[in-house]
Amino acid sequence: MTTDASSQESKKRFFKDGLDSQEDSSELNLAFDNNDSILFGNRSFKNEVKIIPIDQEDNIAIDDLDENQRSTQNGFDRDEFLLQLQVIIPDIKRTEANMLYDMFKLDDNCIEKAIEYYFEISSKMDKGKVDNNMENDNDDGGEDVIILASSSSPDTSMKSSQQSQKISFGSVTSKKRLSSFEVFSQKKPKLEVRWKRFIGSLQVNAMATRPTTKPLKYGTKLKLVKPNSNVIPSKLYSDSGKKKKALSSYIKVFDMSNNREIGKIPEDIAQIIYPLLEKQEISFLLTLVYCDNKRLSIGDTFVLQLDCFLTNLIFDDEIISTSSSQENISSEFDKSSQDHIENQLEIENRASRLSHLALFKKLNLFPIIDEQKELKKIEELNDTVRDVIDLDDEIIYDNSNEIPMEEEGDKENVDHSLNLNQLMAFYNVTQSGNSLLNLPETQPSKDIFKLELRRYQKQGLSWMLLREQEYDKVSKYEYDSDKNATTMNPLWKQFKWPNDMSWDGQRNKESNSNYPDGLFFYANIHSGKYSMEKPTLKSLVKGGILSDEMGLGKTISTLATIFSAPFDREEKNHNELFIKERTTNNSFDSEIICKPYAYRTTLVVVPTSLLMQWSSEFEKSKNGDDIYSEIYYGGNVTSLKSLLTKTKNPPTAVFTTYGIVQNEWTRISKNTSNNSEALSGLFSVQFFRIVLDEGHIIRNRSTITSKAIMNLSSKRKWILTGTPIINRLDDIYSLVKFLGLEPWSQIGYWKSFVSEPFEKKDFKSAFDVVNSILSPVLLRRTKQMKDIDGKPLVELPLKEIFIEDIELSALQNKVYKYFLDRAESSVREGLAHGDLLKKYSTILVHILRLRQICCDVRLLGTKDDNDEDVNSNNQVVSDSVDVNKILKDLKHTTRNALNQDEITELSDKIQLKYFENGKLKSNECPICTTEPIDANNIIFTECGHCFCESCLQEYFDFQVQKKLETKCPNCRQIISTNRVLKLNHDTVENEPIELYCPTQKSAKIEALLKHLKVIQDQSAGEQIVIFSQFSSYLDILEQDLNEALSTKETIIYKFDGRLSLKERSTVLKEFTTKDLTKQKILLLSLKAGGVGLNLTCSSHAFMMDPWWSPSMEDQAIDRIHRIGQSSNVKVVRFIVQGSIEEKMLKIQERKRTIGEAMDVDEDDRRKRRIEDIKMLFE
Amino acid sequence: MSSLPKRIIKETERLVSDPVPGITAEPHDDNLRYFEVTIEGPQQSPYENGVFDLELFLPDDYPMEAPKVRFLTKIYHPNIDRLGRICLDVLKTNWSPALQIRTVLLSIQALLASPNPNDPLANDVAEDWIKDESSAIDKAKQWTQLYAQPKK
Repeated sequence: MTTDASSQESKKRFFKDGLDSQEDSSELNLAFDNNDSILFGNRSFKNEVKIIPIDQEDNIAIDDLDENQRSTQNGFDRDEFLLQLQVIIPDIKRTEANMLYDMFKLDDNCIEKAIEYYFEISSKMDKGKVDNNMENDNDDGGEDVIILASSSSPDTSMKSSQQSQKISFGSVTSKKRLSSFEVFSQKKPKLEVRWKRFIGSLQVNAMATRPTTKPLKYGTKLKLVKPNSNVIPSKLYSDSGKKKKALSSYIKVFDMSNNREIGKIPEDIAQIIYPLLEKQEISFLLTLVYCDNKRLSIGDTFVLQLDCFLTNLIFDDEIISTSSSQENISSEFDKSSQDHIENQLEIENRASRLSHLALFKKLNLFPIIDEQKELKKIEELNDTVRDVIDLDDEIIYDNSNEIPMEEEGDKENVDHSLNLNQLMAFYNVTQSGNSLLNLPETQPSKDIFKLELRRYQKQGLSWMLLREQEYDKVSKYEYDSDKNATTMNPLWKQFKWPNDMSWDGQRNKESNSNYPDGLFFYANIHSGKYSMEKPTLKSLVKGGILSDEMGLGKTISTLATIFSAPFDREEKNHNELFIKERTTNNSFDSEIICKPYAYRTTLVVVPTSLLMQWSSEFEKSKNGDDIYSEIYYGGNVTSLKSLLTKTKNPPTAVFTTYGIVQNEWTRISKNTSNNSEALSGLFSVQFFRIVLDEGHIIRNRSTITSKAIMNLSSKRKWILTGTPIINRLDDIYSLVKFLGLEPWSQIGYWKSFVSEPFEKKDFKSAFDVVNSILSPVLLRRTKQMKDIDGKPLVELPLKEIFIEDIELSALQNKVYKYFLDRAESSVREGLAHGDLLKKYSTILVHILRLRQICCDVRLLGTKDDNDEDVNSNNQVVSDSVDVNKILKDLKHTTRNALNQDEITELSDKIQLKYFENGKLKSNECPICTTEPIDANNIIFTECGHCFCESCLQEYFDFQVQKKLETKCPNCRQIISTNRVLKLNHDTVENEPIELYCPTQKSAKIEALLKHLKVIQDQSAGEQIVIFSQFSSYLDILEQDLNEALSTKETIIYKFDGRLSLKERSTVLKEFTTKDLTKQKILLLSLKAGGVGLNLTCSSHAFMMDPWWSPSMEDQAIDRIHRIGQSSNVKVVRFIVQGSIEEKMLKIQERKRTIGEAMDVDEDDRRKRRIEDIKMLFE
Repeated sequence: MSSLPKRIIKETERLVSDPVPGITAEPHDDNLRYFEVTIEGPQQSPYENGVFDLELFLPDDYPMEAPKVRFLTKIYHPNIDRLGRICLDVLKTNWSPALQIRTVLLSIQALLASPNPNDPLANDVAEDWIKDESSAIDKAKQWTQLYAQPKK
């Protein structure tokens, strides 16, 4: 038993102590008489072991142990085993211990295994509460599991007090636990039906299979029998649990009095009843109600009343079903111990679950939606009589059941048309209703956190701390386990016991008195578990999803949490504690690796663009110098591990990006051995807490990033995302998996409860489950939500979005038409051949070209790395050649240009006239009277006059528009745009003057310039954000704006994916600093800057081009329109009239209304795509 | 109203700082594109000693488009009609953005000095002018006496 990790150490040493002390058994026995409580987990307890006897009986029993049971195999005998077990689990029962001994005596690490096994069961019991005492009891059991799993030493003082409390319950709970144990250890307990309670009656038309000699009497007791009870289930059911054969032939109706077969029941009933018949969980009572008073011959029908009862077994038994394969708890132990469970059993279990469901439906037992309402109704309708349900007639509802039925129906109708937006609204409702209003407000103390939180942020902080179980940090919050316990496990449904309408019940009122009271029972229809007590949901996951809408301050709330709980208090005293961590990745699957626990560090994983923002927010909010953060680029810290675990004051937060996590992960997985990163990087430690900002990045679980993130380990996990669902419901799965929400983090579970129902269009149940999974761990507030006082959470200034129609310039139009023709013919061809989707990428390129032309013809030549539409596609290459040709052609059409001789001649003339000592003389532009004309901006006419380029261009445009001749404004000589010269800046020496090529600015840029001028005129020193998705367009914009605007008045910044981290932060810093004399313009790539950035300094935004998904654009606009914005926000979206852009708007509109969640399967998505394309080219 | 282009401001300043002899032009207080203009009748012309009021308006497209100028004072001239509209090529087809308020007003002054009855705007005046130039000039002088006396 050598130990390398401290986690192991503590646990194993623990056992060793027991072993060592075996000679001192007398001392231990002495200790039994001492009723002091032990300090469980006290590391120094070796010399002062004190054991509390649980109850007297057990205590004596231990003394009475039979020496003969001593097993010599590994030096353990029963006594020793029991003693040790009791040291570790003070409240274990003797019978339980004995059973464990029997199970594990042959094992090498028998005690360890036994303990694991024990807690395994406790944790399971935790899920299906039996009674209140159990609940308390199991709370501890559950905690113990955590503690053992992570091997942190438990909080001693608290523990001991709780334990002593537990002891008082011990005797009460013993029976229950006992029974569960017996079943578990495969000793079939004697099943005894102590009571049964009526749940409903069916009227069944049975068919006689044997003739009777005389008419059967009204009220004859009958029974259902399986004649060949040894039929193998696999013959009856296929693997999926569906039945293969008609089951009606396997169930016969027998006369109780003479045990003789009479008939059989119809197939639909037989199907339901067959799997349940021999289980005794549900008992059936059969009474003849009608047989026409004559002798039955074969084929005659007779009518039976089938009373159904739930017996105590189904409730006692709940833990058995938990342990069966249905609940796939992923512990090693479970796997090994359950390997022997036959597949047949699984099939049977499944069949019986389905039967339960079907039976409940037949009996019209429906879950209660609102308990309070139901209780009231019961009072009102206390004496309503329930009828027997006649299957042949229309179903008659009991009054008390009628209303829930209707509600159910209504809900179903509504839910069938659920779309993404509704889903969002759906969890809005669940969140806003209770959690928001009732949450206390916590403001972290000023000593640690400088910023003042808003009210809802304080509530958010409370929620986050509660999720992390830092109860004492939440102000005005008293930890109340009862209060927490009232949230019912959402997988369970509440049912009301119906009035007893059974044959016996109606005739013999006394007979039913032996069942327990209570109005309700609970059933988990998914797993077939039942309980008399309300099953509560206890999530062991520390962390959750903070899904506040963009701009509500998720970052601040998270930082407040980090500052409020900067380290793991349980771990504070043990610097060198190591933990055992099983990674989920396959390569490490069987391997157990040990990671040091960086208990004082929170890892924050953010998109690259937000790295600096997080870091600066951290600095802004912290108070005190001993708290600091580190940015981790991978290379900048030699050994993250030693920084975090060896140094005295490790950083409270480490910021890194998804890219770095992914890089490190790929390197590690490629080369598992001798990798320094594996030993010292992000994956080498277990963090105290991990926060994923913009956590929807991991939504696709097959991406490397997502896989890498899953392999980071920490005790507490948070996901921040404003949009938990981007495209599909399954997006949530990755988040659930990251958080480790059992059992949903297992894909099988998720698939069968969420994906499959959803694909079958059973939206209601899918959403119900999603909601039940998420509601405890997800907090979402929207800007529209109201706080307790009915005020909106955030009052943001007005946001106005204008769509400005743009008309293409002549050149653009020509090119656009050309490309449109090609695209249309390509689509037509695709539609005609039916292989549109094969050509999808080609068409995408076509569409891309059209979109580019709408922006600027010059974009055509460029290759944009940032645009994902164009992959490495041969099509693109040939296409770009094409583009150049077209542009060239278009240029050639400009006839009559100056030839080289003329240029040289003119050049000399101009030099003579305008240059002095090689320098341009000062000239006034006759049009705008600017003096001198900027050398970059000067152009010369054929007749030797000079103007500003823009002035002359404007003149040309004006004249052309008015259909007037273009004459030199100075000398009235006819001039033309093709015969104009400008200075050549590249080669000043050789060829100072070259032919001016009229770069007609794109229509959008012209429009943008106009807007910029207006803004500048109205108020100087504004900050303006310009979005585009094409980073090469940003380049063009930068160039054009620089030319058109004077540098005295304007500064242009560009922010796109090509910027390094440092550059990003400088750009943002400079841009956000207000300068009253200068208009600051930020050219922002939609992809690089669409998320996370805070640009509230600006209140003007221009969207140069539309994007497919409206939410992308909303995100972008929210960079500006968010908390901190003080003035009204104006957004102008440039859309080219009658172009593909207008159609994109339509598609956006559709996406907004339908929501993409409805694209359930690949086929639908494909259809949708074809529709999209058709729509674009119609 | 959109802001005033720099060129207009510059021209206005120059008209004040460096006035053209015999011509004044002052922008209106409410509308800087609207000018009140006076032109003295050129010497040795029928309009000598007369001071003529004009109005001048710079349209939005100025300087791409010519300014609008009109006589407010009654004048007997073959190229100026009863409403004061002026027939002058630089105000119409021959406008060039290189021209300015100053040059336009100088052109009008020149038009007063040399009426061109062959390209008339006021047909009746032009007819008189061609039929009997001296009596027409007399009438112009009379009108100048009558209507274009400088305000004291």
